[in-house]
Amino acid sequence: MTDLLQLVFAGLSQGAVYALIAIGFVSVFTVSGVINLAQGEFAALAGLVAISAVGSGLPLPAAAAVALATVAIVAVLMERLTIRPVKRMTTLVSLILTLGVSTALKALMLLVFGPNAEGLTPFTPGGFTVAGVSIRYQELWILAIAAVVASAVYWFYDHTLAGKSLRACAEQPVAARLVGISLGRASLMAFLIAGCVGAVAGVLASPIYFTSWESGLTLGLKGFVAATLGGLVSVRGAVLGGLLLGVLENLTAGYISTGLRDAVAFLLLIVVLVARPSGVFGRHAEARV
Amino acid sequence: MARPALRLPGPHRRRSRRGDVIGITVIAVLLVALALFAPPGLTNVGVYALIYSLAALGLSLLMGLAGQVSLGQAGFFAIGAYTQAVLVTRYEVGALLASVAAVAVTMTVALLVGLPLLRLRGHYLALATLGFGIIVTVLATESDFLGATSGIFGIAKPEFNGRTYDSTTEYFLLLVPVVLLGLLLARNVVESRIGRALGAVNDSEVAAESLGVDTFRLRVQVFVLSAAYASVAGTAFAHWLGVVNPNTANFPLSVSFLLMAVLGGVGTVYGAVIGAFAVEGLDDGLRRLIPELVPGAVGEVQLIGFGILLTTIMIFLPGGLHQLWTTARRRLSGSDLEGGGPPADADATADAVAPPPDESPLLAREGRPVAGTPLLEVSGLTKRFGGVTAVDDFDLTVHAGEIVALIGPNGAGKTTAFNMISGAVDPTAGTVTMAGMRVEGRKPHVFARAGATRTFQNLQIFTSATVLGNVMVGRHLRSRTGLLGAALVLPARREERALEASARELLDLLGLGPDADRLAVDLPFGRQRLVEVARALALEPDLLLLDEPMAGLSGAERRDLARLLRRLRAGGMAIVLVEHDVEAVLALADRVAVLEDGVRIALGAPEEVRHDPAVVAAYLGVEPEDSSAVAVAETGPGELR
Amino acid sequence: MSLTVRGLVAGYGRLSVLHGVDLDAAEGRLVAVIGANGAGKTTLLRALSGLIPVSGGTVTLAGADVTGYGPERLARAGLAHVPENRLVFPSLSVEDNLVLGAYTRRRRPAAERAHARDRALELFPRLQPRLQQAAGTMSGGEQQMLAIARGLMAQPRVLVLDEPSVGLAPRLVGEIFAALGRLRDDGLTLVAVEQNARAAFAVADHVYVMDRGRVVLDGAAATLAADPRVTAAFLGGGVSADGGGKPPPATDTAADAGLR
Repeated sequence: MTDLLQLVFAGLSQGAVYALIAIGFVSVFTVSGVINLAQGEFAALAGLVAISAVGSGLPLPAAAAVALATVAIVAVLMERLTIRPVKRMTTLVSLILTLGVSTALKALMLLVFGPNAEGLTPFTPGGFTVAGVSIRYQELWILAIAAVVASAVYWFYDHTLAGKSLRACAEQPVAARLVGISLGRASLMAFLIAGCVGAVAGVLASPIYFTSWESGLTLGLKGFVAATLGGLVSVRGAVLGGLLLGVLENLTAGYISTGLRDAVAFLLLIVVLVARPSGVFGRHAEARV
Repeated sequence: MARPALRLPGPHRRRSRRGDVIGITVIAVLLVALALFAPPGLTNVGVYALIYSLAALGLSLLMGLAGQVSLGQAGFFAIGAYTQAVLVTRYEVGALLASVAAVAVTMTVALLVGLPLLRLRGHYLALATLGFGIIVTVLATESDFLGATSGIFGIAKPEFNGRTYDSTTEYFLLLVPVVLLGLLLARNVVESRIGRALGAVNDSEVAAESLGVDTFRLRVQVFVLSAAYASVAGTAFAHWLGVVNPNTANFPLSVSFLLMAVLGGVGTVYGAVIGAFAVEGLDDGLRRLIPELVPGAVGEVQLIGFGILLTTIMIFLPGGLHQLWTTARRRLSGSDLEGGGPPADADATADAVAPPPDESPLLAREGRPVAGTPLLEVSGLTKRFGGVTAVDDFDLTVHAGEIVALIGPNGAGKTTAFNMISGAVDPTAGTVTMAGMRVEGRKPHVFARAGATRTFQNLQIFTSATVLGNVMVGRHLRSRTGLLGAALVLPARREERALEASARELLDLLGLGPDADRLAVDLPFGRQRLVEVARALALEPDLLLLDEPMAGLSGAERRDLARLLRRLRAGGMAIVLVEHDVEAVLALADRVAVLEDGVRIALGAPEEVRHDPAVVAAYLGVEPEDSSAVAVAETGPGELR
Repeated sequence: MSLTVRGLVAGYGRLSVLHGVDLDAAEGRLVAVIGANGAGKTTLLRALSGLIPVSGGTVTLAGADVTGYGPERLARAGLAHVPENRLVFPSLSVEDNLVLGAYTRRRRPAAERAHARDRALELFPRLQPRLQQAAGTMSGGEQQMLAIARGLMAQPRVLVLDEPSVGLAPRLVGEIFAALGRLRDDGLTLVAVEQNARAAFAVADHVYVMDRGRVVLDGAAATLAADPRVTAAFLGGGVSADGGGKPPPATDTAADAGLR
């Protein structure tokens, strides 16, 4: 029982990281129809920038802010330089394009920060034990900040004109243009949001899960799986998907085999998508003739 | 309708076979020259380029033909490499036999993986294949049998006829024929019935399926073929390096395969080889250059070049080097290969080549259902989108040899009903029986197999194909060359010739003969409609569904089309048409069904329907109730005609 | 505030749909464009509001050349387009749909937007009780009202509507057209594309009949309503565009067809 609680708790904090990354996928996909394969790299980049900023003597909050700003700029540049110039964005083009950006970012991180995986200093070191479940303070930080950020994003989409205009672009792009909303600006804003949530995820995760130039790959993939579990178009779904994935992964690692931890996500993806091909992404499955 | 932007330059456009022979010979000569005269360092890069080009070629086929991208090609590469390594080192199987087994194992895995995976599309498939690659890495790392992280060592260089191919040059020369053979087979597949059908799927999936193309099956086949190419590369890799470890399934390797395919030009068979050499050259160069520029740079820093290159290509040159080549050639020859000019009003051309006013039966043949027997039975067909009921409890029986028209105001649900009958949309409820076979909720190709096909309201012409190519896709079900036969070419060529002859015959019959070798999109609108009809007729259907065939046609074209339909009816074909042109419909149809708001409000002979007040109200519109109306002329039902 | 179109040519890719359309909508007039399916009515509106590129001709809004403007810019210039199939934002509430309708006026005083909202709700009182409901859950007629109300929130000078009556019960069609009439009486310029010819004639000042990408007939609604050529053109197969708009006699329909 204690084992189970321990695994579930660890899963939730890890899932919260996936959830934030999944929100990034949802934010970009709904507005521009692009699956941003560089989403994971946003997180890795934030982690590495924060680590190196702390290494050069900045206090932790300042380092986090620098990381956030860096990634936000990278995300915005990515949209302007690579997404906007493409006239006809098809699935294939968008995949290869963002894969290219992701690969270039990875290599850039390797060049700048070197090949080693490192961890950021925890926000609050140490932890405590409750009913046999050991809890690190950092995990509480992850859960708390992820909850705040996810709620903020949710509130943004639900209560601000900018957020509503993004939803309008996602649901009826033609009508959105007709009421005067610029799709280009919406896309830029979507990438900005994706960059910010990705950066937060990266900084939060780094003290526990470590960050290297390569860690964006699996983070991004898990985030995508989480977003897909939630339907790929809903922030709430992304959060639930992330938490579910985190818990399932930890249960698998704990009860079956640590090595299979990474396989869970993809088995889940395939099972869910194949079992409910139109249920999960019904909006896109029906061909218009 | 979403389409892959990366496409073949029209696999069904006619290309000279001599051109291919020359192309392959040029590549062969270049490769041999490279092996003989290049410095060993360069040849070493060349060996890797040849090995990887096979995997890239497979990926290029998958992307070009099936329009799907795999981010896990390295996974199949690794399965090939590992199987080879295990067989050669543990069981002392000969290299050649082992590689046959390795390819077979990989293809089996690809089939098992592909069956569930290829139900996914686009993003989902790409990410799922990426996941597959990662799973292969995880399994290889976890398995002690496969040597865990250190992998399998001591794979000897291959030995044939007592000769060991262990120098760089020798290994290179050993690979050259393998790659050339791979190119040849790939080219044959692209040019085959399968390639043609998949090209059609990329242009319009629903149209291809309506002509009987089983998209899923073909996609699985191409996926397996693509994996086979990767596994051949894997076996060659195992022998060359002597070691196989989990890195062979690495994601960056999948990325470089993708880059090779994209750089060369997706779907262009030769592009993959050129792309492989370019990427390997770049790889080698960057590995030397970057550590000099950035002191202390270690690891896979060459990836930065890959990433930037991928991005730039997608933005500026989505067709890859092949696009550069065709653009350059077009500039050099100074001619506009597009030709055609904007579609003009069709009357002139239509009148010039219109078939003589002939009312004789058309396409009558043995084995047609006897006129009057029920052919299509639709019962209780219902479709709800969210809260809206688009079609409500629709019943219709169509008998062999009759023309039934389905009319109704805009938004009445006619096209939705059509889509459900033909399998393009799943019904919420109800049954559709075609020639005794239940087809509701099945894919359009099942409907086609039952002997029925359709045309589309907004044209679904295969834009990358000629008129002939379009019609030949319609013969898909009347031919049978599979992937293997296509690759081996000989049996396929006879069938191709027969297919082409019958397609040309049909085109001549419809007066499209002179346009047969033009790109279908270059024809005027009215002629394109006719191409769609010709394409549907190529299937030799017993039932033909036409969705607004008259829309956008000139008076003369409408007349010709009406005559054609009457002749087809005389030949024993049943026809259902959705139409806005009430005049034409009432004159042509044996029976007319009227839909309003998804409900069938009338069904009967044209004369009955014409005088039905409900129909008149539904069709001409109703006066708004509370406005001081200026009445339109007291339009009695008579005015409807 | 008038809208003038001269020689408009537009289409989709290589397919040219409009072959030189002229249209005048004087200030405070309600102009209807009718024609059979595929006549190019929707394409005309899409070209007018910049949703598809224009390859020839001009569009003038209140004397200013707006040819080639994108839809966002045209919205700011005072043209509101109520699109085909309504296209309300389904998951957003009715209130939020209205708020987004005033997107181009987001920097104006809130009182102005509130005024526009009050007027729109006054025009369509059915929307009032549904303000908090998700727009996608409303009936077709209510969605159409919302789409028009959303267009009005931008306080446009010209309102163009694409088939506002499609799929609606006659009573609703009446309500919607009555509302359009009131807007016209308030001085708004309206261009409505319609399939429902009778409804269009009942309320419009001037009617254009389109066939295969050209205007084949136009005239005051009162004079044109009784013209038999309209029925022929509207039901297809009749009025030929090939003669540069010279309509053949109505009886030609039967002869032309040779269909029977």
